Amino acid sequence: MLACFALVIGIACAAAQAAPPSAFGGAPSASPSTPGPSAAAPNPSPAFSAPQAAPLHAPGLVGAFFSWVVDTQQTMQRELAGGVKRLKTGNRFAAAVSLAGLSFIYGVVHALGPGHGKTVISSYVVANEETVRRGVMISFIAAAIQAMTAVAVISVFAIALNASGLTIKAWSLQLESASYALIALVGLWLLVGQLRGLWRRWRPAPALAAAGAGGPQIDFDDHDHEHGHAHAHAFAHGGHSHDHDHDDHDHHGHHHDPGEVCHHIVDAKAVSGPMSWRKIMAVVFSVGIRPCSGAILVLIFALTQGLFWAGVAATFAMAFGTALTVAALATLALGSRELALRLGGKSGAWADAVWTACAIGGATLILLFGATLFAASLGPARPF
Amino acid sequence: MQPTAPQLGIRRRQFGCLCAAVALLASSPASAHPHVWATVRSEIVFGPDHKITEIRQTWTFDEFYTAMAIQGLDTNGDGVYSKEELAPLAKVNVESLHEFGYFTFVHFGDDNKPLPLDAPKDYWVTYENPVSTLHFTLPLKTPLDPRPRPVAVDVYDPTFFVAFGFATKDPVKVSGALPAGCKVELEKPDADAAADAKALSEAFFSQLGPNSNFGSQFAQTVNVTCSKK
Repeated sequence: MLACFALVIGIACAAAQAAPPSAFGGAPSASPSTPGPSAAAPNPSPAFSAPQAAPLHAPGLVGAFFSWVVDTQQTMQRELAGGVKRLKTGNRFAAAVSLAGLSFIYGVVHALGPGHGKTVISSYVVANEETVRRGVMISFIAAAIQAMTAVAVISVFAIALNASGLTIKAWSLQLESASYALIALVGLWLLVGQLRGLWRRWRPAPALAAAGAGGPQIDFDDHDHEHGHAHAHAFAHGGHSHDHDHDDHDHHGHHHDPGEVCHHIVDAKAVSGPMSWRKIMAVVFSVGIRPCSGAILVLIFALTQGLFWAGVAATFAMAFGTALTVAALATLALGSRELALRLGGKSGAWADAVWTACAIGGATLILLFGATLFAASLGPARPF
Repeated sequence: MQPTAPQLGIRRRQFGCLCAAVALLASSPASAHPHVWATVRSEIVFGPDHKITEIRQTWTFDEFYTAMAIQGLDTNGDGVYSKEELAPLAKVNVESLHEFGYFTFVHFGDDNKPLPLDAPKDYWVTYENPVSTLHFTLPLKTPLDPRPRPVAVDVYDPTFFVAFGFATKDPVKVSGALPAGCKVELEKPDADAAADAKALSEAFFSQLGPNSNFGSQFAQTVNVTCSKK
């Protein structure tokens, strides 16, 4: 069953990679990519002075807050542009350090925007028995893949093919659509896994007994569910990040003879499954194949300045920043789950309910989120 | 303690809600997130009969977007991005703007529905280092007399991918026969606390879905008002 889903994901990935700009129907007809000299030469016209826009204003206090956020982002973007340019004119070391710092801060803020995996990763770690350390690790891998995707897109299209900005935009949108589709598939896959686990638990007891040692070893009638202990257990072992291959994790339960009292939260374990690299890679890959739009802009800008390497460095500094934000939000989500668990005191039923709600809710959220964004991404292409 | 089904059912629902709320909170500020900045200058054109016939838009983009937009378009490699070389860019921009109502929403009096616009008559992109500018002329389907009721021209991207702001210098121009007693001016932003609740709820829910209208709170408005005789 798992292998079956992996296959679906694999096919989807292959399809996404092979997709021409017209796949998913969302992109504009790309303009011809005309070969020519690479980086854009500057076109000085000193008489021209660009018009400046008045700061934005939205009504009310919330509006004022968002206005400030927008204004800060614009200032930051201008600073980034200035940072890249200073690499050519000013003290190169100082300029490089300040560019890295700016990119990092830009990344931290930028990750609050859509498409950096905060919702997907937070939901995933909450739905699965993931620890804070693993949540952080997942956030960093996803951000690194996203940065590499952006660098790859620009290297191939802008440098190797000298494709136009329109073509690059079209491809970025394709990757975005593919990413959302994959996120929905991953959500579906996780949800089916959770529901199967749930089904096994709620199956009538005779069926369970009949399943024998090979089947799930969960039996409500025999177990006293003690969550506090179970969680400490998860924390203690989560840090090791064992690289198990849980192909057969459906049967990777604790062995309990009939009547044995289990002090682990086996029910939750059975619902979510232990750490699975396959699941984690599916999550980080689905998030990571969407290039960060901020990174694309910085890379192209750096390229036009003849400083592509600075753009690459800035992209990774930015990815570090986005990873921190996403990791912080994932940690917050895990904290909320922990809090929810504590609310129930020592009630096993409560802990069980929280685990189930988070497992099912998290997977459902990933599915709905991916599906909604995928549907939205099929809409008319943005003009700019 | 043994779990019973009804008990689990209720709590599961509650915690489904809690988990969802956490996730929503985590993703709420997403919309305050423009990727492109455009400085707007608008020209309101009046016909000889004192009716508004068209709106000429001049949008100057930021350096980052410009670098992206003109990438690969210096087709003859002379280092100059001519109007001709940038023509494909202008075409794609304007054609895809159609789906978005040209980010230009003309309101007559209190009508909520913006007036229909025709496809731009002319359009072109210029590049003056380091920024590019899109020019286009947007005719109203039917010329509009501003004397009976005031006319408001909003410029904004509902999804807020593009942040439009009027230029500090010469944001609005008038050409043609402006009727006597009428004036064309930029609306001053005013603080309105009542908008808070709306803005907040929109902030929460506007991120998802294609019908996002988050950007409307940042609408930039040109008002054409006439004194009653």
